Amino acid sequence: MTDRRGALASLILLVGCAGGSDPDPDALHGYRLPSATPRPEFALTTVAGDGFDFAEATKGRLTLLFFGYTNCPDVCPATMANLGAVLGKLTGEERRRIDVVFVTTDPDRDRPEVLGPWLARFDRDFVGLVGSIDEVIAAQRASGIEAAVKDGEGEGYTVSHAAQVIVVSPDDSVHLHYPFGTRQAEWASDVPRLLRSFGGSAR
Amino acid sequence: MTWWCAATTLPWSWEWRAYPGVWVFVLLLLAGFAQFGLPSDRAARRKAWGWFLPGLLLVWAALDWPIGTLGGGYLSSFHSLQYVMLALAAPPLMLLGLAPLMTERREAGRIGRPARIAAHPATGLVVHNLIVLVTHFPSVVDQLMTSQVGSLVIDLAWITGGLALWWPALAPVGLNRLSSPLRMGYLFVQTLPSMFPAAFLTFAEYPLYRLYELAPRAFDLLTPAYDQQLAGLIMKVVGDPIIWIGIATLFFRWANAERRADVERQPGLPGRPASM
Repeated sequence: MTDRRGALASLILLVGCAGGSDPDPDALHGYRLPSATPRPEFALTTVAGDGFDFAEATKGRLTLLFFGYTNCPDVCPATMANLGAVLGKLTGEERRRIDVVFVTTDPDRDRPEVLGPWLARFDRDFVGLVGSIDEVIAAQRASGIEAAVKDGEGEGYTVSHAAQVIVVSPDDSVHLHYPFGTRQAEWASDVPRLLRSFGGSAR
Repeated sequence: MTWWCAATTLPWSWEWRAYPGVWVFVLLLLAGFAQFGLPSDRAARRKAWGWFLPGLLLVWAALDWPIGTLGGGYLSSFHSLQYVMLALAAPPLMLLGLAPLMTERREAGRIGRPARIAAHPATGLVVHNLIVLVTHFPSVVDQLMTSQVGSLVIDLAWITGGLALWWPALAPVGLNRLSSPLRMGYLFVQTLPSMFPAAFLTFAEYPLYRLYELAPRAFDLLTPAYDQQLAGLIMKVVGDPIIWIGIATLFFRWANAERRADVERQPGLPGRPASM
């Protein structure tokens, strides 16, 4: 029933968009923050070894920011797989206007040679970022989420981390978070509307 | 305590998991068959066990670790495999195991009305296809598979649907009025409705089941989309041939019976073909 209501809401919104008005962010599948926050500012390193100033590199673009780790058994692979599947169906022009940035919360195990191929399984254009544990904690705080915590000892430890995708709009503000559990059909419905709503530059 | 396979939030691992409810269910079927499903004739009993036991083993394999676990909460393709095993493969074997008893009872005039109603092709068509459609509806799967009781309900529904599908085709002669060609035609018609859920699974643009879309990944390469396409293919590519085997078996039995009848009709050669 929830899905049917969601589909109906999407249909109504799409009709609204056809009339030229912007989509109502409250009707999107993400949850809207009480007040928009500025584009997070932090600097890390890409899996290729280049410096990456997040605010500078993604300025003016729709950016989906996620913090996770490659040994994650559930949330991270499901979220990346869903994003990869949906973005893979966009037109080339739409796809060029979106960045997906994945920051590891497990820098000890997620070396660049591990994170790069893991991310490429979902989409070759996803940006993977690594850094020291202090840099990663600072990046999470700058993004307005709780810092991840290591659970357990030895090689098989897990990492408790925030599970939402942070949507940074081309207006360089964060209006929306998408919780874990957002489905492919919901992303597919929302992403084009986020692009229409907030514009954004193509690379 | 986990007694039946259902969705959990646990990551998939090849570590064995115990499902005591499945063992109790299989033992109950075994005991029930031994107590109430066997004919009085000793030779016929061996034959009955020969059919029933492989069917029971299929039920057990479908419900227990690892197939039951994977289908219960991780992969739509294994859920589909469970359907094929429980609704298409196991029931004909179990019913053939019951056939000697049914034949014995029919000859003694002790077949009940429920068995006759169940042997009507309309019953098989309605019950089986209703169960197939309802148990593949996304909201039903997402709702039921997250609880052990709900998962049990789906498994029992599939076994019931399978028995309903096969009984009109395998019931002893006299329980329904279907000739062998009509039984073959009935089975062929039964392959048609499952095209709809199979096509939806194979060709849907996005995953239909929330449960399998967001489940912890069991195999990295099997994305939710591939998994769902595989589920649709299993339903048709593995499921339909099982029914075709049933059709072929009926055909050859019918052809042999016709040949024997022809030979018997020839004067001077009672019941045996002429030697060349």
